[in-house]
Amino acid sequence: MDPYLPSIAEIVNVKRQSNDTRTYELRFLSDKRQREFRAAPGQFVMISVPGIGEAPFSLSSASEKSDCFDTTIRKVGNLTGILDRCGVGARIGVRGPYGKGWPVEEAKGLDVLVVAGGIGLAPLRPVIKTVQSNRAEYGSMEILYGARTPADEIFADEYEEWKQIKDTVLSLTVDSVPSGFTWPHRIGVVTGLFDDMKTSAEDSIAMTCGPEIMMRFVVRGLLARNFRRERIYVSLERRMKCGMGHCGHCQIGPKFACRDGPVFKYSDLGGLPDLTL
Amino acid sequence: MKTDLGEFVDELRRDFRVVGPRRKRGEHVFGDIHSPEDLDLEYVTTILPPKKLFLPPAEILMSFNRSGEAITAKVDTQKLLIFGIHSCDLNGLLLLDQVFDRDYPYARYVERRRNSIIVAMACLNIGETCFCESMGTGPEPRTGYDILLTDLGDRFLAEAGTAEGSRLTEMMEGHDAERSDLELKKKLLSEAKMKFKKRIDTDGLAEIFEKNLDSPLWKKLGDKDLACAQCVMSCPTCFCLDIRDQWAKAPSETVRCVEWDACFLLEFAEVALGGNFRKNRGARLRQFMGHNLSWGGAAQYGPVNGQHKCVGCGRCIRVCPVRIDITEVAKEIRGS
Repeated sequence: MDPYLPSIAEIVNVKRQSNDTRTYELRFLSDKRQREFRAAPGQFVMISVPGIGEAPFSLSSASEKSDCFDTTIRKVGNLTGILDRCGVGARIGVRGPYGKGWPVEEAKGLDVLVVAGGIGLAPLRPVIKTVQSNRAEYGSMEILYGARTPADEIFADEYEEWKQIKDTVLSLTVDSVPSGFTWPHRIGVVTGLFDDMKTSAEDSIAMTCGPEIMMRFVVRGLLARNFRRERIYVSLERRMKCGMGHCGHCQIGPKFACRDGPVFKYSDLGGLPDLTL
Repeated sequence: MKTDLGEFVDELRRDFRVVGPRRKRGEHVFGDIHSPEDLDLEYVTTILPPKKLFLPPAEILMSFNRSGEAITAKVDTQKLLIFGIHSCDLNGLLLLDQVFDRDYPYARYVERRRNSIIVAMACLNIGETCFCESMGTGPEPRTGYDILLTDLGDRFLAEAGTAEGSRLTEMMEGHDAERSDLELKKKLLSEAKMKFKKRIDTDGLAEIFEKNLDSPLWKKLGDKDLACAQCVMSCPTCFCLDIRDQWAKAPSETVRCVEWDACFLLEFAEVALGGNFRKNRGARLRQFMGHNLSWGGAAQYGPVNGQHKCVGCGRCIRVCPVRIDITEVAKEIRGS
């Protein structure tokens, strides 16, 4: 069995999230493959287009969604440029899922703090959906989200629904507001939202994803507020060519982001090189 | 070459593709052995390690049909016999086995390995840059071979390591080894061990390395280093791969390829929008040294089963155009 062989999936829906970001709803052509596809929140797949290449993308759909799965992709390069031009009915290659995801089991009974920046909200959406569908099993949920501008927010049409989830707070911020936009929320970096944060360090768990420099300040801000290092989880971005611990690109010292992560417990990242956290 | 061994090699060639050390422009390479004269068992080391036989420098992974379905490129299943591999390189293969034959077995590598027979040589030709003894990987291999040969001067001692090896030794002419043969082997090996000029003190090295991630040594060496990656390319245990597509006008000619990659290269750790976690050469050199001396081979902190990634073959020292020497780096990091 060749683990590099992608299965063909069809794009069954494309949803525009922002100028450069879309959510693709995908379904494997093989019913068996689709039926057996189970991904935990925070896991990723390798998506490819023949002749263009292959790259890792987080899944953004609720893990219990079974007839198809979503991935939310920002157009930044060759492959994502091609994907951006793909419409419903287009077929692409998918391998996976791979990696270790968010600690949704450990989070049971705890208050859940989600801190996301930009496209970093995509891999955290499955966490939000998990809490939503198993509401009684978790404590309060607080989502802090920062985007570049109001037009860059992703999943914006779902915010009202998220706010309706029992005992849930959603706070938004943007780096800047271009003229022509009205913005009733905060302006500034996402850690600015910590000032009005409801979640306390006690009996809570934090999960963050965004640019590494953002996560650096998120982690520091949380530690300063007495969050425990073992209860802070980060999702790291690294170059990946295989997703299976073969190609070596995603090494962080002795760890492989594809196998040991991409979601890491912050306390497990001490003493590692090439991290800006 | 002792004549009876020549006949043995000829016998083997009936059933196997026999690859072994042969001369090439003043050096040695692992190449196809078409007649016993091709084989030069007096070699010290080869330009590239035998890794290339299981993990070719570049190959096609898959092609695509008209509907975009991927088709795995065929793996040559001819039985391969490596004749005369030294202990360092054999340990290199055993380490690659740990990387590629685990949770997601890399079928191409695993199939080639399963189709291979190893005739190893106890190494009596210790070179200027060799330090396998200090890494615990030589000069005599402990495991992983089907047959182990030792050159006793006028004759070879053959020891079988597997049932297949035992079957093959029966094809050899000769008589059962005597106690004196084993004693001579022991003597020759202990003489060989006296010839090592380089060594690495591995005691606690992983931990020492971890404490010195911010050592000024990395900047100093990074400034000297050319990032040419020859060390990686000649390393028996460096396994990093790049995977990329080759587009062709005809969909059926489009292929996905795999080739060796190196952590010394600038693009190696680059991500979308130009982010790069190892932008400077010092960080990339630290990655190479750290992986070899500290982090083990298979995503595990410290040596795997007591085995560092580095097997002490000395090739990276031989090929370095600016004379960066891993044994000296290990010394410096211990001293700092």
